[in-house]
Amino acid sequence: MVTSLATTAPALVSPGLDLEQSFSQALEGFGLSAQAARMLWLPFPMLLVLVAAVVGVLVTVWLERKISAAVQQRVGPEYAGALGVLQPLADGLKLLVKEDIIPDRADSILFTLGPVLVVVPVILSWLIVPFGQNLLISDVGVGIFLWISLSSVQPIGLLMSGYASNNKYSLLGGLRAAAQSISYEIPLALAVLAVVMMSNSLSTVDIVNQQTGAGVLSWNIWRQPVGFLIFWICALAECERLPFDLPEAEEELVAGYQTEYSGMKFALFYLGSYINLVLSALLVSILYLGGWGFPIPVEWLASWLNQPIDAPLVQLITGTVGIVMTVLKAYLLVFIAILLRWTTPRVRIDQLLDLGWKFLLPLALVNLLVTAALKLAFPVAFGG
Amino acid sequence: MFGFLKQVGDYTRDAVDAARNLTQGLSVTFDHMKRRPVTVQYPYEKLIPSERYRGRIHYEFDKCIACEVCVRVCPINLPVVDWVMNKETKKKELRNYSIDFGVCIFCGNCVEYCPTNCLSMTEEYELAAFDRHSLNYDNVALGRLPTSVTTDPSVQPLRELVYLPAGEVQPHGVSPDRSRAGKLPEQILEELKAAGSRKAAEDGRESSSSASNEEESAG
Repeated sequence: MVTSLATTAPALVSPGLDLEQSFSQALEGFGLSAQAARMLWLPFPMLLVLVAAVVGVLVTVWLERKISAAVQQRVGPEYAGALGVLQPLADGLKLLVKEDIIPDRADSILFTLGPVLVVVPVILSWLIVPFGQNLLISDVGVGIFLWISLSSVQPIGLLMSGYASNNKYSLLGGLRAAAQSISYEIPLALAVLAVVMMSNSLSTVDIVNQQTGAGVLSWNIWRQPVGFLIFWICALAECERLPFDLPEAEEELVAGYQTEYSGMKFALFYLGSYINLVLSALLVSILYLGGWGFPIPVEWLASWLNQPIDAPLVQLITGTVGIVMTVLKAYLLVFIAILLRWTTPRVRIDQLLDLGWKFLLPLALVNLLVTAALKLAFPVAFGG
Repeated sequence: MFGFLKQVGDYTRDAVDAARNLTQGLSVTFDHMKRRPVTVQYPYEKLIPSERYRGRIHYEFDKCIACEVCVRVCPINLPVVDWVMNKETKKKELRNYSIDFGVCIFCGNCVEYCPTNCLSMTEEYELAAFDRHSLNYDNVALGRLPTSVTTDPSVQPLRELVYLPAGEVQPHGVSPDRSRAGKLPEQILEELKAAGSRKAAEDGRESSSSASNEEESAG
């Protein structure tokens, strides 16, 4: 599938920085075959994205602690590095060297498998996050659908670890996590479906390209304001962020499914939850806030400055701007999530399920139908 | 049909209300972010205890007459007064005095009732010890004066809210020579004295001077 915008106005959309092509060309210049060059190229983006995800988590943890402190008029971490930037690293190191405890009479295989099942799909989902036209690991045709299906593997891991811990709090936490993830996945998928319907493609790159026509005005948030809210609420629920953090509600359930975990296994849960938060924020910015798009299209800026869009320097600048914009939008959403954490009280389990099934699901369905109707009525504005 | 529409309308209104409340809450938390932290960085900064602070008890051995009033007014008869009767002089001879601060609740009854004022409250509150028995202070330990927060060179003293100048809510960065809000006790005393003497001059009576004397001793 090809976006309508890309076919109607190919000159406007910049081809973007294609690092893989340049790399392959350089290696083929040394006399390697195209396949060998590709084999050498493959690990680079994977490693880079893995490192980016982990560093993103460290930054998010630091931001969370500093912003939480500021909201409560505290100072927050201060002594580990300048302004406490090394605090998350210190936490991680501590967890790394802590004893790995498997409780007596716990199911050791499931207990070990649980955190892995939680983290792996989350990290795998970074496969489809684009930071630019060609700046992603793989432009999978079913991109966003892949993420939805991968994120539904997570509750299995949570339930597994909750059950295997042989602890009532863990079991309750695991069951809550499963119930919450399953009920919020449906409105989430419906909200995504409305966006997909407008861009005629499941690929994240196509979804962003469909929003690049007129800068900030062509972002999906103006065409899908309800979908944006539904998606954001559901993403918070999927990440178990504060208005919906029932699975680990520390006042009731000690720490939910994490109760019996320590050391590296706990670190995996911790890492997984924060990677998931950053990933959700990235996906919101991709689906609704124009992804790597600058508020004013860079193509316009280049033409005003009489610069050819294919020039290497311009490509480098647009690529950098794309990465910065994606990360900036994502971290703005992370900031809102942290602020929401200190603003909203935790909902009860019945309120949670009410909100999911009786409010978000009908709203998402209506949103989908309205989008379909608008697409038929105004194919120009809604990607006919 | 209309019932259903009313239900939908009510539901929508509820949702809009919830959204408005949420944004209001977000604006409150956002507003708090630009405020200065209220943190007192404890070992480096300390709050100045108020003048009525009931800290560790100070005891002057030489003033004590071993009357044991402190023991009788204590809720748990805590002070240990170790004295013997000197048969020759027919007087009590004090040998030891101790209070166990692991048990003391710092109610201050002993200080209040001591007839010779040999007991008093200090502003010391850092009583942590590795062994609970070392909290049992004898007359030597009770006779030590604590380091004042304001004179300790390694500590930045901070004033509590009621001791800050009018309009200030943060102790950080407030100059120490700015006086607290309201009148100081000695200022009130002076005013009372002035008023008293004026009254005495007007009335030409002696009784007002004794009244001001009373106030002086109370202040």
